[in-house]
Amino acid sequence: MSERKTDQAFWRRPAIADETEAHQIEDVRQQHLLLDPRYPLDSDRDVLDPMYRSSKRYWFFFALFAGLVLMMFTTWTVQMWLGLGITGLKRPTMWALYIVNFVYFIGIGHAGTFISAALRVLKVEWRRPISRAAELVTVFGLMTAALFPLIHLGRTWKFYWLIPYPNERQLWPSFHSPLLWDLTAITTYLSCSILFAYISLLPDLAMARDHTSGWRHILYSVLALGWRGTEREWSNHETALNIFSYAIIPVMFSVHTIVSWDFAMAIQPGWHSTIFGPYFVVGALFSGAGAVIIALTIIRKAMRLQYFLRTEHLEGMAKLMLLLSFAWDYFYFNDVLVPWYGQAPVEKSLFALFASGRVAPLFYLMIFANAIVPVTLVFKRVRTSIVGLFIVSLFIQIGMYIERFLIVPVGLGQNEIPFAWGVYVPYLPESLISIGAFGLVIFLFFLISRFFPLIPSWEVYEGQVLQGLRRIGRAILPTRAEPD
Amino acid sequence: MTRGITRREFIRIGVVGAAAAVLTGCLPPRAWVVLEPYVRPPEEQLAGVATWYASTCRQCPAGCGIVVRIMNGRALKIEGNPEHPLNRGKLCARGQAGVQLLYHPDRLSGPAQQTQRGTRQFKSLSWNDALNLLYSKLQAAGSATAVWGDSTMSGHLADIFARYTKAISAPAPIFFDLYTLFNGYSVLSKTNQQLFGSSALPIYDLAHADVVFSFGADFLSAALSQTRYGVEYGAFRSQPLGKRGFLVQLEPRMTITGAKADRWHAIKPGAEGLIAQAIASIIADQKLGSVERQTRAQTVAARVDVNSVAAASGLSVDDLTNLARIFAAADHPIAIPGAALNGQNNVAQAASAVQALNIIAGNIAQPGGMGMSASAPAGLIKPTPSSFADAQALVEQMRAGRIQALLVHGANPAFDLPDKIGFADAVKNVPFVVSFAPIVDETARYADLILPDRTYLESWGYDVVAPSFGQPIVSGQQPVVTPVFDARATADVMLTVARGIPAAARALPYADEVAFLKETVAALGSGAAGGAGADVLWARFQQHGGWWQSTIPAATPLQSKITAPITVSSTQFQGDEKEYPYFLHLFLSDLLSDGRGAKLPWLQGSPDPMTTIAWQTWVEMHPETAQKLGITSAQVEVGFQRGTLISDVVQVTSPFGAIEAPVYAHPGIRPDTIAIPIGQGHTDDGRYARDRGANALRLVGAQADATGSSLLWAGVRVKIARTGRQISLATFEFTPGVTRGFINAAFPGQ
Amino acid sequence: MAKTPHREWAMIIDLDKCTGCGACVVACHAENNVPIQTEQEIARGRGIHWIHIERYWEGAFPRVKANFLPLLCQQCERAPCEPVCPVYASVRSDRENLNLQVYNRCVGTRYCQNNDPYKVRFFNWFEPVFDEPLNQQLNPDVTVRSAGVMEKCTFCVQRIRRAEERALAENRALRDGEVIPACVQTCPPSALVFGDLADPNSAVAKLAGDRRKFKLLEHLGTEPAIVYLKGGESNVRA
Repeated sequence: MSERKTDQAFWRRPAIADETEAHQIEDVRQQHLLLDPRYPLDSDRDVLDPMYRSSKRYWFFFALFAGLVLMMFTTWTVQMWLGLGITGLKRPTMWALYIVNFVYFIGIGHAGTFISAALRVLKVEWRRPISRAAELVTVFGLMTAALFPLIHLGRTWKFYWLIPYPNERQLWPSFHSPLLWDLTAITTYLSCSILFAYISLLPDLAMARDHTSGWRHILYSVLALGWRGTEREWSNHETALNIFSYAIIPVMFSVHTIVSWDFAMAIQPGWHSTIFGPYFVVGALFSGAGAVIIALTIIRKAMRLQYFLRTEHLEGMAKLMLLLSFAWDYFYFNDVLVPWYGQAPVEKSLFALFASGRVAPLFYLMIFANAIVPVTLVFKRVRTSIVGLFIVSLFIQIGMYIERFLIVPVGLGQNEIPFAWGVYVPYLPESLISIGAFGLVIFLFFLISRFFPLIPSWEVYEGQVLQGLRRIGRAILPTRAEPD
Repeated sequence: MTRGITRREFIRIGVVGAAAAVLTGCLPPRAWVVLEPYVRPPEEQLAGVATWYASTCRQCPAGCGIVVRIMNGRALKIEGNPEHPLNRGKLCARGQAGVQLLYHPDRLSGPAQQTQRGTRQFKSLSWNDALNLLYSKLQAAGSATAVWGDSTMSGHLADIFARYTKAISAPAPIFFDLYTLFNGYSVLSKTNQQLFGSSALPIYDLAHADVVFSFGADFLSAALSQTRYGVEYGAFRSQPLGKRGFLVQLEPRMTITGAKADRWHAIKPGAEGLIAQAIASIIADQKLGSVERQTRAQTVAARVDVNSVAAASGLSVDDLTNLARIFAAADHPIAIPGAALNGQNNVAQAASAVQALNIIAGNIAQPGGMGMSASAPAGLIKPTPSSFADAQALVEQMRAGRIQALLVHGANPAFDLPDKIGFADAVKNVPFVVSFAPIVDETARYADLILPDRTYLESWGYDVVAPSFGQPIVSGQQPVVTPVFDARATADVMLTVARGIPAAARALPYADEVAFLKETVAALGSGAAGGAGADVLWARFQQHGGWWQSTIPAATPLQSKITAPITVSSTQFQGDEKEYPYFLHLFLSDLLSDGRGAKLPWLQGSPDPMTTIAWQTWVEMHPETAQKLGITSAQVEVGFQRGTLISDVVQVTSPFGAIEAPVYAHPGIRPDTIAIPIGQGHTDDGRYARDRGANALRLVGAQADATGSSLLWAGVRVKIARTGRQISLATFEFTPGVTRGFINAAFPGQ
Repeated sequence: MAKTPHREWAMIIDLDKCTGCGACVVACHAENNVPIQTEQEIARGRGIHWIHIERYWEGAFPRVKANFLPLLCQQCERAPCEPVCPVYASVRSDRENLNLQVYNRCVGTRYCQNNDPYKVRFFNWFEPVFDEPLNQQLNPDVTVRSAGVMEKCTFCVQRIRRAEERALAENRALRDGEVIPACVQTCPPSALVFGDLADPNSAVAKLAGDRRKFKLLEHLGTEPAIVYLKGGESNVRA
């Protein structure tokens, strides 16, 4: 950070004219993080402190989620040893919970990019403190999601045959297969996301380096790539992030579109739909936004980051979520209306199954969770209530998980050959692995929270520097300066 | 289960491979012990090249010709023998599964002595000791020796048993099994004896018939000659000039034959005979069809009140009249009596009434009509299935302690007979029981000594085909591989034992069974395969899989011997109508037949054609009946660890016993009828059959019909009670999808 | 090696003749080393029968009718199962109109089964079990598929190869009826007929022009190599 004149330092509070104005200013400061600057070292301390101090409670949960991860990998090993038969998979529900998890976690992985890249491009200021958490949700979501195609494979140990590696028999994977598009899209997206998160982490790593000693110092020194905070570095950093932001957005849209093509390219009734691309993207953003809110509320509470993560951020996310909920409603309506109008027998039977069949409770729960519960977000009281938001987000996760469940195994269960229909019920192994996958995402958060700052403090400073309060007449107004 | 092949195994396979080729040649059986190293293989044995050997299928009494694919000394695949005039290269599911009997993992290796009956505590014996034991016991038993065989026994063994028992003045062997009982072999013989003076089995020339009335005959399934009738059915549907036969099926529960019928009538159980009589009566009264048919109808048909038949049969008067019109107007109509009427108390009348329709049609011994199975060539034996009365008499003799030694070969009376007959009790009074079963079955559990016979793919033998269509056929049976287990041919065992018993030794002066068979075959003379001289004939017999003439002899004309019109009394049902509201309809499982198929995984694990259920016994009832009784059938169970189709297990109770089995809602069954397949419920017979499903014969009493031909296994009433238990139905189909997914679409996408 | 001519292997299934007896099912198990599943596995919907008889009901009692539909891999010309396989385990042989399944290439994504409208592909959930000495029966011409691999009807490609090799060795063309898959061979009423559609004189080519013909799920445009003939009608005088 460049030297500034202390009397003009951004954390200095402006002189206050009278008590009304003091209240006004206090009010604005409470609401807006960027208008509530403080001495950077205080912020840095708040960001770094939780990394060193791990409470007993932390270790308890750490052990719990580590246990879940262990359970997941043990079950996977057992599954590889005995065969996929130990799961509830069958003919015709060849894809089931593993693919549901895959789609779900990929979906989760969309929020991060959207929030940090898209909102960055759109210059939405409230994204600043939450972008790191969102990026990590992306990275961990994708990493977990990428495990599932492997878990799902009949012969996991041959997974590398999907990779176009040079070999003496000149066997290449088939680029006709949506699975290969998937593989390409996900690896691209994952590497982009990791790079994007890493670049935005650089100034914070340098900050951490400057505040630490011992092995951490060495670690951060290495990772910070010699960041000194020169103007040139900042300028390059800004450029890099901008380029990445623009580049990663199409990748993000393509990834879930391609995931949706796994289904839409198939001739399976209920899957074969042209709307699946945008529909899946919206669904992914929807569940991703919810996941970010859940992550934020937990981080805020557990790591005492109330200063950084304020109602305004959650409210911003809530508004986004409300918008996405409406978008989801629209796409779902379309996805139902068109086949219903077509009255193809299999699709008709699927609707009957949803409306009044075996899975009707799931279907109505999904509609309730995805379309009705988020409507409460029109009320400011819900938007600004952390508990309320947490509950709404949780409902959205459940709803979106069910949506994928209804598409994958339930959709497969009814096909053109009624003789070969089937009912899928998750058995213990895939249930354990699915629970373990949630555990894995949380475990990775637990792990990373001890190594890297979860709040991008440089972004917050930047915002705080750029923004200020001005008095114009009787009114106190926030102002914003454009960086060169 | 693939695994690497060890050096030791390689040598073993090589030896087996070489030896397999040796035994099929014209060498005496002593050559079997010659071990050839694989470095000097016999000329017809090439690694990786298959050789085919002709033999005879012994999964049912029909006697189809088979060819077996052998590679490296292993039997890999059975196919129908394309030269064989009975099955013409085709084979049914049970025939295909024969290799699994050969390689069944629970086959006994070497003789076993059971120290205490029923305990399955076996003491291994050497063949010498076992033969000595058998010899001493048989010598002591003398004429108090009984032989219980089955209908699939090779002719030469039946011959040996017959000569043996005759020589020692013991009662003649009986050949009794469930398959022939259900298919009414004995009933049909007796009926034909009465009607035409010939006790041969009837044959029906479907290939040239235009209208077939099947009175519950499931001829496409486990009936008389499934494969041949399958061939006939194919021809029936595609006759020259685009003609297509018309099949009418009258039965209470839709069989696969019923499924193929052009017209299917769900008649009341036990009404088959009445309907046949009513059709004859209508033809006579309404003067339908040609004048000859009318005249014949007037002589053979006793007049009945069509209205009362309509009430008793579940058909309308219009239906009956319409059927009579169709039958009378057809060029080549055939009427076939089915299995169910064989178990009714009026069996003789009912079977006669149906056969009488053939007389009316004037199709006897005509193309597209009913004929008689060709009789066996002189000197050859076809085990004639015994009547139920014979079997019952033998059980009574055993109970009375008049049998000192019982030899059981092929048959499984402990499973095949209803509990009420008391085989288990009777056998206690027999001091010495020998079983020749290769796999310990229910009867072998009562045996003191088990001398495992070779299975048919490793045995010599012949079978006189019956029913045989148009010409006498002798199917030849030869070992196609070296014996897999230490088993010994029962014929050789009997010949060896007979040597020590002077009377028998004179009757059976043969070194071994091959010498005996060679003599028999030489007596047949030259057939379609040609050749002269005993050795050449014997070689041709093996090469072509039997003996038959290249020309089909003209059918011997048959004269109806009916003097008085046939009257059919109405079927009596056992069990009070109030207490037991449902008719019980038993049928042989298509794949397991009378239970013999239950030990073969291919047959157990393949879906039953009508229900697609595998491995289980089920109770078929109409969906309405199930609903009325509050029974859940094939519903989706989505609870924890499930996702399967579950069904209520019901208890089916008759006046004679009760069984428990899950329900399958069958849309093609009368609401007042309950149908259960025979075949499961084994308490032994290898790992795949044991403790699986229920034996529906428990529901049947011990009563024989008036003529003693058959057991009254039909005409039983039952009641149904829920047990509260539910099990997952092992259906291959997703039943709710088929019954509720696309209703009334013939096929998906139509 | 001499150039093998273009072939269009095809099967005619006359539904009028099919009796649903199940002989083809067992014949296929015997020929192709198809493992039998246990009762529990079948109850869970994991039965494996490359060819099986589907029985559909039509109408209601007492005018009910049961229709048998022998179903096996349709060897589609435009097989939906092929493009979705990422490793070319499900692959087309244009030369002989066959849809091949390369077992040792299959990694078990099971996408092909999802995209198979006929649901005739089967997955090995466990390592197949053949109790000793039942394994001695296994056909050495056919791979025993391990756990995690998809399998399906191959039109008995091993028999096609053997017949082609024999014809080649004898320096002659393949005769009609020389190649017979196990199911066709055993079918008692000859409801199944197999042959080369490219040969206009073959039995299948003649039958394929029958007015009763239809293809299963024709609206999907998969162009199956299996032609079904509908059940016929008889004229009876009454």
